[in-house]
Amino acid sequence: MTLYKDVDVRTLLRKGGEPFRLIMAALETLAPGQGLRILSTFEPKPLYRVMSERGFDHAARPLTDGDWEVTFTPSASVPPVAVSRGGEDATDWADPIFHLDLSALEAPEPMVRILRQIDLMEPDEVLFAVLDREPVFLLPELERRGHRWVCAADEARTTWRLLVRVGEETVS
Amino acid sequence: MHGATLSRWTMSWFGAAIVLLVAAEALFALGFADPVAAPRGAETLAVVHLVTAGWLGLLTIGAALQFVPVLAAGRLRAAAASLPSLILALLGDLALVGGFVALGRGAAAAPHLLAGGAALLVAGYGGGGMMLGLTLRAARPLAAVPRLVGLGLVGLAATLVLGAGLASGLAGLLPPDPAGRVADLLPFHIVFGLGGWLTATALAVSYRLLPMFLLAAEPSVGPKRLLRLAISAFVLLGLALAAVAVGVDARLAAGASAIAAVAAIAVHGRDLAAIVRGRRRRDIEASGRASLLAVLTLWAAVALGLGAALLGETARVVPTVVHLAGFGWLSGLGLAQLGKIVPFLTWLEYFGPVMGRRPTPRTQDLLPSRRLEPWYVVFHAGVWIGAAALLAEAPALYRFGALMQGVAVAALLVVFARTRRLAGVAAEHLREGVDRPRLFVATIEPGSKP
Repeated sequence: MTLYKDVDVRTLLRKGGEPFRLIMAALETLAPGQGLRILSTFEPKPLYRVMSERGFDHAARPLTDGDWEVTFTPSASVPPVAVSRGGEDATDWADPIFHLDLSALEAPEPMVRILRQIDLMEPDEVLFAVLDREPVFLLPELERRGHRWVCAADEARTTWRLLVRVGEETVS
Repeated sequence: MHGATLSRWTMSWFGAAIVLLVAAEALFALGFADPVAAPRGAETLAVVHLVTAGWLGLLTIGAALQFVPVLAAGRLRAAAASLPSLILALLGDLALVGGFVALGRGAAAAPHLLAGGAALLVAGYGGGGMMLGLTLRAARPLAAVPRLVGLGLVGLAATLVLGAGLASGLAGLLPPDPAGRVADLLPFHIVFGLGGWLTATALAVSYRLLPMFLLAAEPSVGPKRLLRLAISAFVLLGLALAAVAVGVDARLAAGASAIAAVAAIAVHGRDLAAIVRGRRRRDIEASGRASLLAVLTLWAAVALGLGAALLGETARVVPTVVHLAGFGWLSGLGLAQLGKIVPFLTWLEYFGPVMGRRPTPRTQDLLPSRRLEPWYVVFHAGVWIGAAALLAEAPALYRFGALMQGVAVAALLVVFARTRRLAGVAAEHLREGVDRPRLFVATIEPGSKP
């Protein structure tokens, strides 16, 4: 079953605001496998194409007062998600407080930067990172240090999205 | 567990491998074996097997013990077999080499050494192949690159079976063979070994490592195409082998297999060109340049073989093609990748447990490119001198080429040993109370599972 993150852009729209950036920002914070539910004052058709390119299917439903509810669900063809011990509840984690783009860095640099950042964070805080290779050596090391993580690749396996929830680290 | 950890025994396989290569180059340089005058002489076969069943085979298994779990993003299966397999393979190689030497001198021990060596090699490499095969199996469904590694394991099995058959024949364990069919198996043993096992695996590994070191995107279509061609080459080679076994003309199947293999190498070449063009790292390091040089040598070997086949001169160039493939391509690529893998694994072993918690040196600081470069140049120069000597039938020149290769490999051995011992690492980066990495065995710190 897919869990959804709710984004209500109706107030913003009624004030004449532009919701696209808000929605894209929400998209960046999704756990792998998580979907997005948008409440809007109109059917946001332009979004369908954008979201489809990012691997989401959509389903739209008109609400009673002329508003619309649209759910975006990760497409079934997206590769499976790898999860650490205790990482199954990732959809309930807090929003990430750090976003790291670690593509175009040579190993082991992405791994070092993530662990360096985590060392500055408090337990239960969440970090989000984008990598261009599967961080195969990092994942067991995170677990060894008591952190939880979720990691998923895009369909072409060119980008990996990693979510880490900091654990009660034992100093060694 | 998802992800890969440091392979404890990879350095042991590497260490044994490179020592055997130094020994082989020394024996060639001293003229103990003379591949110019006697390419199938017992001494030549002895030293060749130090290179193939010793250096190249141990290097490939050692690298795969680390690399396949990374490909599969899972732990190595049956990992307890790592050390016993290494010991069996190493003893097997030494016994086989001793068997060839004894054969050349007509010593009574020859059959025992040959048969025993072959059995130990089957057990040792069989153990290595089993660990890798089980690891790949657990990671199914597999992408094209790990499948190519799996195909390489099929090549390893074929090489072992044929080699064991040939050794049994030499040891007199097989019934008398009036048609001389056992001897006809030799080309298949060589092609399955250098091509089906070592080259297939090297191509697969290079698809992952070169984009990683050059910071380029991994090609997605090429590996699938290459895999299809490689499978075709395997099947056709199998047909040719069956034809030889029943005494039918095998030339058509063998020729078609060679065409498929050349097409596979061409696909790899095109992908490699795209990787080099699309790289984000502008300056290619010494190990990257040496890897590309190795690939160029593979193409040279292929071109030489094709050219000679068209001219009907195949027999004349076989030793040169085998030399270029074994030393310039496979050994060249192996030495080049060691220049990257040794510092990376050493870094991971020593600094992995503290990364992110304190400043760590870069992997390049463990082994700067400039320490490698001259030795790669000397090695490849020696390879080409050796190739020229084989074509010109000049034994003294071949010995000189082998001397250059041997000096380069011995120097690289020292460079790698210093890297393991963190010789170039600034004192402030060293960890207090933690021993430097040992030369041949990785230390896995408590808390992390091997």
